Amino acid sequence: MSDLKQHKDAAKSHEEHLREKHLMLDPLPRGKMNEMVMEAMMAPPTWKWWLVFTLLAGFVVWGLFYKWGVLITKGQGEAGVMRPDYWGIFLVNTVFWIGISHAGTFISAILRVFRSEFRRPFTRAAELMTTFGLVQAGFSIFMHMGRVWLAYWLMPYPNQRMLWPNLHSPLTWDLLAITTYVLGSTMYLFLPLIPDMAMARDRSTGWRKTFYKILALGFRGTEGEWTHLRNAMNIFAFAIIPVMFSVHTIVSWDFAAATRPGWNSTIFGPYFVIGALHSGMGAAIAVLAVIRGTMKNMKYFIRPEHFDAVGKLMLIISMGWTYFFFNDYMVQWYGGDKWTRQLLHFHEAGPLGWLWFVMLISNIAIPWAILWNQKWRSTPWLVATVGIIINVGMWIERYVIIPISVTINRMPFTWRMYTPGIEIPMGLGTVALFILLYMIASKLIPLIPVWEVQEGQMAHAFKKFGRETVVTVSELE
Amino acid sequence: MIRPEEIKMSEEETGKWGMVINQDLCTGCQACVAACAMENNISFVGEVDSGYGRSMHWIRIERFWEGEYPEVKMTPQQPMLCQQCGHANCEPVCPAYATVHSQAEKLNLQVYNRCVGTRYCANNCPYQVRAFNWRDYKRPEPLPNQLNPDVTVRRMGVMEKCTFCIQRIHKAQDVAKSEGREVYDGEFTTACAQACPANAIVFGRVDHPESLVSQLARKGHGIKHLEELGTYPQITYFKEG
Amino acid sequence: MSEQFSRRDFLKLAGVGAATTAILTGCGPASRYVKREPYQQMPEYNSVGQSTYYATTCRECAAGCGLVVRTYQGRALKVEGNASHPLNLGKTCARGQATLQGLYNPNRIQGPIKHVRGDRLYDSFSNPFLDDINNAPANMTWDEAIQVVADALKNYKPNEIAFLMGMAPDHLFDLVTDLAKATGMNAPLRFGALSMFEARATLSKAVENLFGQPGLPFFDVGAAQTVFSFGANFLETWLSPVSYTRGFAGLREAETKMRGKFVQFETRMSSTGAKADHWVPLRPGTEGLVALAIGKLVSEMRGGAIPRAFSGVNPAEAAETAGVELVALENLAGMFATSNVLAIPGGAALGQSNGLEIAEAILALNALSDNFGQPGGVYLSPLAPDQTEYSRPASAEEMRTFVEKMAGGAIKVLFVHGVNPVFELPKSLGFEVALTSVEQVISFATFPDDTATGADYVFPDHHSFESWGYQRIATGTSQPVLSGAQPVVTPFFDTRSTADVLIAAAGLAGGKFASALPFADEVEFLQAKVGALLSQAGGSFDAPDAATFMAYFQQYGGWFRNADARITPDGSGVLNSNLSGSVAEFSGEGEFFLVPFVSPTLAEAGANKPWLQELPDPTTTVMWNTWIEINPETAHELGIENDDVVKVVSELGEVQAYAYLYPAIRPDAVAIPFGQGHKAYGRYAESRGANPADLLAAHFNKAGDLAFGGMKVKLEKVSSAERGVGLSRMESRMGVYGESMGEEH
Repeated sequence: MSDLKQHKDAAKSHEEHLREKHLMLDPLPRGKMNEMVMEAMMAPPTWKWWLVFTLLAGFVVWGLFYKWGVLITKGQGEAGVMRPDYWGIFLVNTVFWIGISHAGTFISAILRVFRSEFRRPFTRAAELMTTFGLVQAGFSIFMHMGRVWLAYWLMPYPNQRMLWPNLHSPLTWDLLAITTYVLGSTMYLFLPLIPDMAMARDRSTGWRKTFYKILALGFRGTEGEWTHLRNAMNIFAFAIIPVMFSVHTIVSWDFAAATRPGWNSTIFGPYFVIGALHSGMGAAIAVLAVIRGTMKNMKYFIRPEHFDAVGKLMLIISMGWTYFFFNDYMVQWYGGDKWTRQLLHFHEAGPLGWLWFVMLISNIAIPWAILWNQKWRSTPWLVATVGIIINVGMWIERYVIIPISVTINRMPFTWRMYTPGIEIPMGLGTVALFILLYMIASKLIPLIPVWEVQEGQMAHAFKKFGRETVVTVSELE
Repeated sequence: MIRPEEIKMSEEETGKWGMVINQDLCTGCQACVAACAMENNISFVGEVDSGYGRSMHWIRIERFWEGEYPEVKMTPQQPMLCQQCGHANCEPVCPAYATVHSQAEKLNLQVYNRCVGTRYCANNCPYQVRAFNWRDYKRPEPLPNQLNPDVTVRRMGVMEKCTFCIQRIHKAQDVAKSEGREVYDGEFTTACAQACPANAIVFGRVDHPESLVSQLARKGHGIKHLEELGTYPQITYFKEG
Repeated sequence: MSEQFSRRDFLKLAGVGAATTAILTGCGPASRYVKREPYQQMPEYNSVGQSTYYATTCRECAAGCGLVVRTYQGRALKVEGNASHPLNLGKTCARGQATLQGLYNPNRIQGPIKHVRGDRLYDSFSNPFLDDINNAPANMTWDEAIQVVADALKNYKPNEIAFLMGMAPDHLFDLVTDLAKATGMNAPLRFGALSMFEARATLSKAVENLFGQPGLPFFDVGAAQTVFSFGANFLETWLSPVSYTRGFAGLREAETKMRGKFVQFETRMSSTGAKADHWVPLRPGTEGLVALAIGKLVSEMRGGAIPRAFSGVNPAEAAETAGVELVALENLAGMFATSNVLAIPGGAALGQSNGLEIAEAILALNALSDNFGQPGGVYLSPLAPDQTEYSRPASAEEMRTFVEKMAGGAIKVLFVHGVNPVFELPKSLGFEVALTSVEQVISFATFPDDTATGADYVFPDHHSFESWGYQRIATGTSQPVLSGAQPVVTPFFDTRSTADVLIAAAGLAGGKFASALPFADEVEFLQAKVGALLSQAGGSFDAPDAATFMAYFQQYGGWFRNADARITPDGSGVLNSNLSGSVAEFSGEGEFFLVPFVSPTLAEAGANKPWLQELPDPTTTVMWNTWIEINPETAHELGIENDDVVKVVSELGEVQAYAYLYPAIRPDAVAIPFGQGHKAYGRYAESRGANPADLLAAHFNKAGDLAFGGMKVKLEKVSSAERGVGLSRMESRMGVYGESMGEEH
């Protein structure tokens, strides 16, 4: 065998290898790809799907709605809150879900802005996470209110008494920020959905056709439409990023602006943002693993390379979180305030000190131990497990910040430990609803933005420079 | 209509009504606590909830221990109630303007019917003196007969706290106005100060230098709790006689 | 008297014009004069938005503080102190404040009831927060009830009829005394758990022994330089707590003099002891010994001869016996020697087998300060304006004699008013059992208490705020005071004044009975009694005639003589008296001294008022329950933690409650508050906590008071604390005791 032949074979196998590894280099005909996505979406639900659906729906009805009814009629006394733990798991969950919702926008917008090609198959799933997470966050914050039926008083609506919300209150900032974020992220979810809706419209009949027709807004794929869409998406991608940062910074101000030991920390803004990304990335990768494992044709779209790439991000974010965590801890500790020192000591040595250690292990030790290795990083189930563990750790982090920290205040006569009550079923209810919404979405909208994948694949090509086969990416937009 | 520039979040430094509490005299007898509950229609919450930090006391008496047996000592009893801060932490954080500063009386007001129950104010109160209606703590008939018609009965989901018996302030002012005069010092007092058998609680105008409360507060070694937070509390405590 | 008699007419009759600006109003809307009016026809004193204030007398304990009750449209809204009342000068205690929760208690008895002994007077379970009024309904009319009482009076021999009464009100006691005197009935017996725990009989006996005349001593704490209190809980329930608290404030107030010092000797730190500069834990029953030892040391320090009273004691041995350091005693004696000390013997010290000796030894210390009849010293309390000699409630020993008479069948009809002996007397005295031997038991209880449950008839008296009456002020003020009571609201239920019932029944019974009580009703009786003061000069008010006098009496809340009538005791012989430094005898096998003490917030009858239940105990901050105080060291040795269920076992019984690791109690003692553990008494009190009186043996001191401090008990752990179950505490165990806060490093 000649050298040339050998080289050609090697080049070919290298090309094969790249093709197998990277979705962008492994194009399929457009029709075929559309078929695959449609098939995954339209596949009639299996009995397993129905079983899970029924269980989750039942749990949502009982845990979320029935228990909420109990809470509203009987009062917040059903929950574990009291003096001094006026805030409990409902707010833990609020912060947690807002954190989860972060990664969706982060993956989609930041990576879109920076033109990271690996984002293409999973932006949709991530953006859905933003919307669905915000739904849970909204539920959680309303659960927390003593008189939720008056929640509209927090909105600035015109009324005869000239009563307006208090713009000094971080909660009002929060409400405005979250509302902005809900609207922005929903728009941002919807825009890239339009071409896929049009694709689905053209490939379906019956009620689905009507449904997709409405959502497709008459999109036909003309050059002008694409230009407008791209412009709009670009604007939103850039605009949503500061909104995203501001939302979690403002969430952190709910705590940082308060006069409480352990909360009154200037680093809380970035610390909360990175914490949100930490949990959000973990949740996103877990969602991807589930989609890949349970839905038809998804192994083609979601490949180990994606887990590898997200894994790297998770590792970096974990490191960032570690920095901010210790920064926050050190600054507070060096501050030397008597109560803060008591509190920090209480975090680690109090009766729930073990939670504090579980938090550090889940958020730092486990991600660092597993994600440094490319092979492990490319193993979907392993990365997904790490993602879930990070979420447990991040939930605990918020638990430490809220109910555990408010146990300690400047009036030691009032210190008391929080024991959750109705928050547990209601919190699990939000988890169930989150999964349920994904399950419903998987049957209604393409979870893979197929046009984005196709666009990416069109831009990628193998090109020969002399004997070398190299990958090229052309600028499409 | 109130123009935005007229809305003041806090009255810094000067207050109007204030208290002097002499912890050396306080015997911890709970007369003030009972008087407060009777005057202000405060709900009782039962054994389980009161043991879980949900009691509705607007005033509580704190005490700690020093030393070990037999050299053990109880620290001076410390009645803790809303300090009616001039620069109150509770006020800015309420998203609904349910806790606001009275421009006329320079007190922290709690507007029960505006409260939506976010509990941020209580969270942010460094004195932990706010009480939340965790449930509808009903009073069985005929107990409601003793409800004071001058004080709103609060329902579930609403924050409440010491008002310095603002109903008494208003009544005294109405009487004085109808007689064309100012309210005398000592003409009325809060329920807690009125009951206190040791006269450990003295209430009055802190902005009148000659009032009893101002004279007592000037004695020199009084302290204001958590003053370092910039809250401008209106209650001066004397730990030792 | 007609129900239609309008209030306007009554005011004319009383000669008091309706003064719209007057704060105090002469007479309340007594049921017999004023009928309930609908809102549209409110009587003239009820103008919208205006409150009416009525002066009356507190009956939550026997001290008799003057109250002014704010009413509005016929409802009582708020209890305030009567500022012109010499006893309390406008102040009240927590129990006085919570009186309204008795007036409007959901479990009041609502009418006359013929009742099967032991049957419940209300449902066993009621939600503390819901309107499920489920009290036994009235099943007879008042006419029938009066007939029952009349029959009881008529059909039995007078010496088979007995009245058992509480410490208040005095007018009813006077009425029954008059009745008994005229008819040969047993003289009414007065008793109260508070007087038992105060050891009043011992106090007056010691006074008699030392000074030659009986009386209730008055300790001028307010003007004292230094106070040595031996177990006197004068800031809680002792004698007249509001007045003594004012005295304490006077002791401390540094305006005109040095801040007075205060030393407390006791076994567990009471909330009074918590205010002391020096708290000296003593072994129970050694207080007299310690007092004598201090007396001797002081005499030695001052030089000269040792008075005979203190000569018999060896301070070193006394210190050893009492479990204190001799140096500590010497230091205290040094303090004593250079200061004017007021020594106070309290109930906790006197409720011992040698209580009388202890009382004498402590009172004798005052002779060293020579403070008898001096400001800051010891006086005898002035007698009330209409009183000629000191009278005291029954001692526990007298109660035992009475109970034996009941059990022996000598008493066939028992009337009970204002006292709850089934709960208040130690079980060992056997009242509950003896009650079954009484043929007819008629209770006048306002609340369905433990004793009413064992009665044949319950003829509920009005609540004190619906009642007329007066109370003699036993102690606490320098003036002789007859404190007046008047209804501040119309009766809420179909209750009737016991005085009226007795007057009517006596009329029906005829003969001696009718002539003993020749009054139309209670008010006429009161006018007859109070009107006698009209001729006395130097009072707080003068009136031209009896009706006006009566109106003023109600308006001002009583009649006070404007003079310091405190009696200077003759202490000349005290230092030469023969005092014994005996040590108390204890009954029982256990290794712990039992210290029962009266709950400062509940006292003997507060448990049915929800807000009193929700008041944190001043020392432990516990609400709604009974606890057992154990020294943390002892608890540690026995493996007992906070909120463990523990059992205190005496030779007579056992009491089970949650453990409270109390840092200020002797390691060889356990303490249990008295006030909870009712078997009836309404939804807030029933089956809540435990009653330490169940542990007490029927041992008495020489004055006849119960030696309630003379028990030795065993302590057993029953079960470990469960998560989320235990005492309701106001305090944070984390913040106050550092529990669960982790090791500091």
